[in-house]
Amino acid sequence: MNLRLLYLARNLTRNRIRTALTCAAVALPIIIYVLSTAVVEGYEEFLEQAARELRLAVTQRTSIINPLPAGHRPKIESLDPTGARLVAVCGMRWIGGRIENDPRPLSTLAVDADTFPTSFPEYLRSPDEREAWVRDKQALIIGRGVAGQFGWKKGDRVTIVPSVPPYTPMEFHVVSTSEEASDPLTNWFRRDYLEEELRKSGAPEGLVSFFFIKCGSKADLDHFRVAIDALFARSPDETKTQDEKTFMNEYVTQQFNLPRNLRILAAVTVFVAVMAAANTMSMNFRDRISEYATLKSMGFSGGIVFTMIQSESLLTCAAGGIAGAAVPYVLFTHTPMKNFTVPLIQHLDIAPAVCGQAVLIALAIGLLAGAWPSWLAVRLHVVTALRSLE
Amino acid sequence: MSAAEIECIDVRKVYRKDRIAIPVLDGLNLRIAAGEFVTLMGPSGSGKSTLLHLIGGLDSPTGGSVRVGDAQLERMSERELTAWRSRHVGFIFQMYHLVPVLTAAQNVELPLLLFKMSAAERRERVATALKIVGLSDRTDHRPNQLSGGQEQRVAIARALVTDPDVILADEPTGDLDARTSEEILTLLNLLNTEFGKTILMVTHDPKAAAHGQRTIHLEKGVLERDEVMPRKTVAAASA
Repeated sequence: MNLRLLYLARNLTRNRIRTALTCAAVALPIIIYVLSTAVVEGYEEFLEQAARELRLAVTQRTSIINPLPAGHRPKIESLDPTGARLVAVCGMRWIGGRIENDPRPLSTLAVDADTFPTSFPEYLRSPDEREAWVRDKQALIIGRGVAGQFGWKKGDRVTIVPSVPPYTPMEFHVVSTSEEASDPLTNWFRRDYLEEELRKSGAPEGLVSFFFIKCGSKADLDHFRVAIDALFARSPDETKTQDEKTFMNEYVTQQFNLPRNLRILAAVTVFVAVMAAANTMSMNFRDRISEYATLKSMGFSGGIVFTMIQSESLLTCAAGGIAGAAVPYVLFTHTPMKNFTVPLIQHLDIAPAVCGQAVLIALAIGLLAGAWPSWLAVRLHVVTALRSLE
Repeated sequence: MSAAEIECIDVRKVYRKDRIAIPVLDGLNLRIAAGEFVTLMGPSGSGKSTLLHLIGGLDSPTGGSVRVGDAQLERMSERELTAWRSRHVGFIFQMYHLVPVLTAAQNVELPLLLFKMSAAERRERVATALKIVGLSDRTDHRPNQLSGGQEQRVAIARALVTDPDVILADEPTGDLDARTSEEILTLLNLLNTEFGKTILMVTHDPKAAAHGQRTIHLEKGVLERDEVMPRKTVAAASA
């Protein structure tokens, strides 16, 4: 092997534990970067898909947690009696839910049975599913992620305890596992069944958490976004109408501001990696001052010594970066974890381009980490360095 | 085989520490003929190592001139000095300063990386240098597998491998026992007599100084005494 490369390789393995720990310190933030980027991109893809669905979301003006009267629906529908521009209005009420003796929370929504299939055509794709939905008041559409988590399948009878009134267990019949829907974790059932249960328990009826409105075109979307709010202006139940992308984005942001927090997390961990790698390179420099001074006394220029240190830093961080990018890539594309689901995201897609970016970030970490000791080596005065060792 | 004359004229060197000027060399004049083996003696702080560093181009004089062969060192830039050192000077340090992760042969080969030459030529030069210092059978040993004397021999081979004009040794036997010191000094004698190298060696040891042709005594930065030594031949030194 070429002596230059051999020297570099031997320097990398000179203190194996230190090198391995530095690689790990770089790999971990890279894993976090790759995963968070995949989640953020998946979330953005979800929002883009929501934007393509030409749907409006209508909530109570002050807060999403305040319900709206179900009676708003005919008033909204009256804005377009032909039904050509305002295709369907679907009221929804969130009940959350869980199954008995299981702490895992569910996201379950009661929806208007008649307009749900038109409003959300990505569900109930087959005729027999649609027929079961219409026929059976206790029909339940489950997300495929939920099906995977709880082992539920079409035809199963399941009991869900709502997190809100009526609080009493409700029995459902699974009619679909919504294989093609973008949201894998939400369950849907008929609102008339909920109203029936609320009536039995004496809890307030006739309320919805929000409406989803399917429009005929982008122009209709823009038109009704304004028209609906104008319709209920100055009424006791004023509305806030947004397109689905804005609504979902606001909902997620209010809940946990996922994209921003993930980006902050990734940035902070990358910064920590820079500090860890810089610390290693500084320790290496301190350990080898006499060696660098000797090389310079032999006629090795500052540039050569600079390149040596930077190469070592780059290689260490590149190794960490490649390992950090490879771990999530392999896990989420070649192991059973590829079926792992994240709320709102269909599939955690670890794109090779993101892995490439991650390796570039690792190289940048290497450059930054090696910058200070490399500069010190360039400035190293041979006589001073050798004297300090005597 | 090459050697160079060394000439120092009115050389002054002042170090500054916390704004205080510390004169180390004060108008030193010195001439060493090509192929001479000169030793430098004097108490600590007399300027021996500083003079060695100035002649080796590791430091620049505050005043005066230093000439080694055709090179007027005080006029050269840092970059020029670095390039000049690689071709004309071989350093030997008290603590050897070998690269611990490289073998003896690889340590000796290091300075040759700065030269445009084939791998075969490099290997040949390394083998020759190690043969001269008597370590042909230790080429693949790492420094931690060698004794102190052997490490210093590798350092000498490393200083020799580029065929420099001048070899500068800073207390090369300071860390060795008497017998090993004698072996190293005999080796330096050999480089001087057989290969004609100009050698300037700093030492505290009068016995070591006896191996040179001249001993220059420094005191407070000036040349106190220039003493011609009775020549010790390689054969005599070996005996």
